[in-house]
Amino acid sequence: MAKKEEKIVYVDSKGKRLDGRKVNELRPIKIKAGVIPRANGSAYLEWGQNKVLASVYGPRECLPKHTASPYKAVLKFTYKMSSFSVPDRKNPRPGRREIEISKVCGEALEKAIFMERFPNTQIDVTVNIVDSNAGSRIAALAAASVALADAGIPMRDMVSGTGVGRAGGKVIVDLNKDEEDAPDAVDVPLAILPNSKEIVLLQLDGVFSKKEWQEAYKLGVEASLEVYEKQKEALKEKYVITETKKGVEKK
Amino acid sequence: MTKRLVIPGELVTEERKKLGSHVFVNEGKIYSDSIGLVNDESDYASVVPLEGKYTPQEGDLIIGVISAEKFSVYTVDVNSFYQSIISKKELREIVKPGSVVSAKIYKVNELNEMELGNPRLFFGGEIIEIGPVKIPRVIGRDGSMLNSLKEGTNSSIIVGRNGRIWAKGGDLDLLRKAIKKIENEAHTENLTNKINEFLKKNSPKIEKKAKVEEEEMESEE
Amino acid sequence: MRPELWDLRVDKVVADLKNGSRADGRKVDEVRKVVLTKDVSENADGQARVKLGETEVIAGVKMVLGTPYPDSPGQGSISVGAELVPMADPTYENGPPRSDAVELSRVVDRGIRESKTIDFSDLCIVEGEQVWIGFVDIYIVNNAGNLFDACGLAAISALFDTKMPKLEDGRIVHHEYNGKLKLKHKPILNTFAKIGNTVIADPSNFEEKAMSARFSVTVTEDNITAFQKGLAGSFSVSEIDNAIDVAYKNSKQMRKFV
Repeated sequence: MAKKEEKIVYVDSKGKRLDGRKVNELRPIKIKAGVIPRANGSAYLEWGQNKVLASVYGPRECLPKHTASPYKAVLKFTYKMSSFSVPDRKNPRPGRREIEISKVCGEALEKAIFMERFPNTQIDVTVNIVDSNAGSRIAALAAASVALADAGIPMRDMVSGTGVGRAGGKVIVDLNKDEEDAPDAVDVPLAILPNSKEIVLLQLDGVFSKKEWQEAYKLGVEASLEVYEKQKEALKEKYVITETKKGVEKK
Repeated sequence: MTKRLVIPGELVTEERKKLGSHVFVNEGKIYSDSIGLVNDESDYASVVPLEGKYTPQEGDLIIGVISAEKFSVYTVDVNSFYQSIISKKELREIVKPGSVVSAKIYKVNELNEMELGNPRLFFGGEIIEIGPVKIPRVIGRDGSMLNSLKEGTNSSIIVGRNGRIWAKGGDLDLLRKAIKKIENEAHTENLTNKINEFLKKNSPKIEKKAKVEEEEMESEE
Repeated sequence: MRPELWDLRVDKVVADLKNGSRADGRKVDEVRKVVLTKDVSENADGQARVKLGETEVIAGVKMVLGTPYPDSPGQGSISVGAELVPMADPTYENGPPRSDAVELSRVVDRGIRESKTIDFSDLCIVEGEQVWIGFVDIYIVNNAGNLFDACGLAAISALFDTKMPKLEDGRIVHHEYNGKLKLKHKPILNTFAKIGNTVIADPSNFEEKAMSARFSVTVTEDNITAFQKGLAGSFSVSEIDNAIDVAYKNSKQMRKFV
């Protein structure tokens, strides 16, 4: 039991955060498309410490039949956390948090997909959070979008986003776990369609003023567009030709 | 004729071109809906996708697998969004779940459900699967690639538009490697020449070609 | 019903085996290429990613504080579970574990637990009150056949990699460790498929579709620690004896990865 808690400086006078980042800086992101041979589409994504695997099957027959829609495809999104993705082992059975995140993420993706082209079908998206450190649902969405494009499912745009919020009195982008634990922390997961900037996922946890929200939104959109560039790179990288002595090969 | 790689939502053109496939219009600009290739010099704004399931077209020859027997029909897996059905009356041969048949697509409705006809059972041989979007490259312009494959391996080959290729006899190992090469390089230029060179370098001993029902089943390309 | 079972492909597997050859060129007792890495999760106390050919599984260990069973007050325990995640195979669905997932978990668990690999009294913290329970959770990433051996290798490798969390006032201190989990052996799971009259090691996807029976055996350097015969076919005793010999031989190579 600490006698006196040392005051943590989340953003110092030079604008540096606990992990050295600037207020508008994202953690490092790496994405690889097409990592699960059995799936129709897939992606592996690392975002800071977060590590996620996404798979897509479909469009395929919608079963049970009563869940099908005669007007459009039905998206079944499953967000699941591995038991060893968090410091205290998580029971493998789906909890309420995962069920809610599955719902909002699925709804975010639906806007990006031409759902009406595949009536009576289902599209199954499964994202396994293998290691996590704040922002896993946004990481899940980023990976899922890449997996959907990898599956050849027609989309109007990617879904790109980032967490925004506040810690230590300053509005920041892409909070990590330490920042989420700040006494004045506000966490706002945000995802957009990059072309139109339409917001497809938005949640908030904490106490925010409207002015802070507007500042956070501006930073969030800029950062989301950086995420979009990473997604584009990952998809195109699969088709880069490397000329070698043996001839041309696909990566 | 260099092709440009685009992802879903990426701009194809701001010019007023005729609309081809896999594009959509938003506020006067034309965008891609898939990961694929754009030919900027074409009059059409069109994207040739590099991934995706098979979308059935009337007249296509496809290769299906019988999945279940029902009262008066068999359900058939055709590697698309839904299973299809074949009426028992249409079948001249005895089939069961697991049997592999070729069939022609007679009709497709707006839901991409298809009616199959002229089913024929395959005997022997094997099935090679590749992404359906790459099948046009396996056939080639006027069937040139397919001819190269047949001559280069001495195999009997039937190409299903739904991403399944039946092959029998000849150097099947070489054929599998050649098809894998086409799949990996489908987005590159000069593919027919590259495949011809590949086949020549690894050319098999000339064997007597096995007599099969291929001539009857061959679809017009 | 998805028709993964294709006559032509099954016929080919059976015909090839009559000539002693397999689709990927392997010999009948040859195992696919193994790649083992420890890049799964920084939150895990022990981890392993196994690629056996194209089959890929990830395993993570979490050491958790628990109370001992009343009949073994001085012993901790381990629990191994494998989940057939709907990403690994088009036929996997969300929901309670199917019987094949349960069988997989229990066979992997049995080979490690019954092999006296871990001395469970080492896991005792306060007799009758507090013990360590090691949870090994395995998630299938891609099913290209023989989940048994991939999961077996991942589980034992993850356990071998496991560091014991530091305890302070009876509570775990996150991200701080105190030594490693002690293992006495490296039990290796070896699975065989019977197709026609041939028994092959490490069946791939299509070979599994053609098999009439399956046999798994876990071996340490000297002993057998688990048997499991699965599916509705049968084995002769000479087939079992031969498989055991092959298992001992192949395990020597597999053990190097742990």
